[in-house]
Amino acid sequence: MASGSEDGLGIPSKDYDSLIATTDVELLKRAWQNEKAAPEILQFQADLIRRSQEQIQLMEDTVEEYAENGTDPLTVSLYQMDLDRTQFLLRSYLRIRLQKIEKYMLHISKTELWNRLSKQEQKFAKRSTDHMEKHLKQSVLSRLPYGYQSILKQSISSEDDDMGTISSFCANHFFLMCYCLFLSFLIY
Amino acid sequence: MYGRRACQLVKELSDRDAGQLTAFNRDLFDQVIKECSAHHLELQSLMRIIQEGGLDIQTTRNADHFGAAIHHLALIRNKRCLMAYVYNRTGTIQSLRWKVGPVLPQEIQEKLNYSEEEYFKNYSAALESYMSELELDLTVDMVPPKDPYIQVRVLDDIGDVLLSDQSPNLARHSMHFLKRTDAEQFISQGLMEELTG
Repeated sequence: MASGSEDGLGIPSKDYDSLIATTDVELLKRAWQNEKAAPEILQFQADLIRRSQEQIQLMEDTVEEYAENGTDPLTVSLYQMDLDRTQFLLRSYLRIRLQKIEKYMLHISKTELWNRLSKQEQKFAKRSTDHMEKHLKQSVLSRLPYGYQSILKQSISSEDDDMGTISSFCANHFFLMCYCLFLSFLIY
Repeated sequence: MYGRRACQLVKELSDRDAGQLTAFNRDLFDQVIKECSAHHLELQSLMRIIQEGGLDIQTTRNADHFGAAIHHLALIRNKRCLMAYVYNRTGTIQSLRWKVGPVLPQEIQEKLNYSEEEYFKNYSAALESYMSELELDLTVDMVPPKDPYIQVRVLDDIGDVLLSDQSPNLARHSMHFLKRTDAEQFISQGLMEELTG
C-alpha cells in the first residue's frame, strides 16, 4: 500500500482513497453487521482480521508521521477519526463474538460451531467453560446429594443431557414459574 | 411447601435492577441445600420400602413410588433454581469485568462469595490472556466514536500521566483535551467526567 507522493501540504485524494477506503474496511463493516445481527456465532474471518490489523497499524504510523511533520491538523484529525472508526469496528466485532461464546459455551463446544472459532477464541472458550464448571461444582453441585451432581444431567437417572444448555438457566423463565406458583399459593 | 425457598432465591434475582449485585444470600442457599438432602433421604427410604416389599423398582406404581417421585422432582426443581441463581450472578460478574476493570472495589467484593471471587479472577485472567494474544485491548472503545478527542474534567487528583500523545498533569478540577481511548479508562473508574455540549 504505497503512501503516494505527498507534497507535505495536501494529500492527493486518490492516495487518500487507496490508503483508507480499501474494500477491507467495507468487508469488516459487513462482517461486524452480520455478527451483530445473527443470533449464533458465524465463521471467524481470520484473513480479514489479520489484514485489518496490519492496515490499522500502518495507518497509525502514517498518522503519527503526518502529525509530526506538521501537516494540516484538520487532515490529521480526519485520518485519526477514520482510524478510530475502523478500530471500533474491529474491537466491536471481536467483543460480540466473545459475548456469544460466553453465552453459549457448552453448546458451542459440543457441536460443529466449535470450528467457527479462531484458535485464540477456542482457547478462551475452553478456559471459560472450565472456570464456569468449577464454579458451579464448588457452589452447588458438590453440596447436592449423590446422583444429582452432574452439570449436564438433572440426575443420573436421566437418559439425555436434560439440564439443557447452560443458557437455559435463565432466571426469568423460572421467575415466571415461581411467580405463578406464588400467586396460586396466595389465592388459596 | 416444597420449593418455596428456592423460589425466593430466584425471585431475588429479578427484584434487583439489571446489572446490580446483591449480597450472596448464604443463609437461604444453605437452607435450600438442606432441603435437598432431606428430600434425598426421604427418597431413599421410600425406595428401600419398595425394595423390601419385594416389588420391582422400575415398574411399581404404588403410593410409595409416587411419594418418591415427588421428592425426586422437588429435588430437581431445587437444583435448577440453585443453578439458575449461581449462573445468573456469574453473568453479572462477567459484565462487571467489562464495566469496572480487573480490580473490583471493596463494596462489590463484599457481595461475592468465595467461589465467585475466584471465578472473577479466573475470568479476568482468561480475558486478559485472550486480549494479549491478539495484542488488542477490547475493553476500551465501547461506544462508536464521534470525535477523536474529547474534553474532560478531572474529578480526582491523578497527577502526571504519560499518554500516547501528551503528558498532562491531571490535577483535580482541571480540564483537558484528551484522546478518547486514553480518557475512557479514567472515565470508567470515575476519575474523570466527559464534558458534553
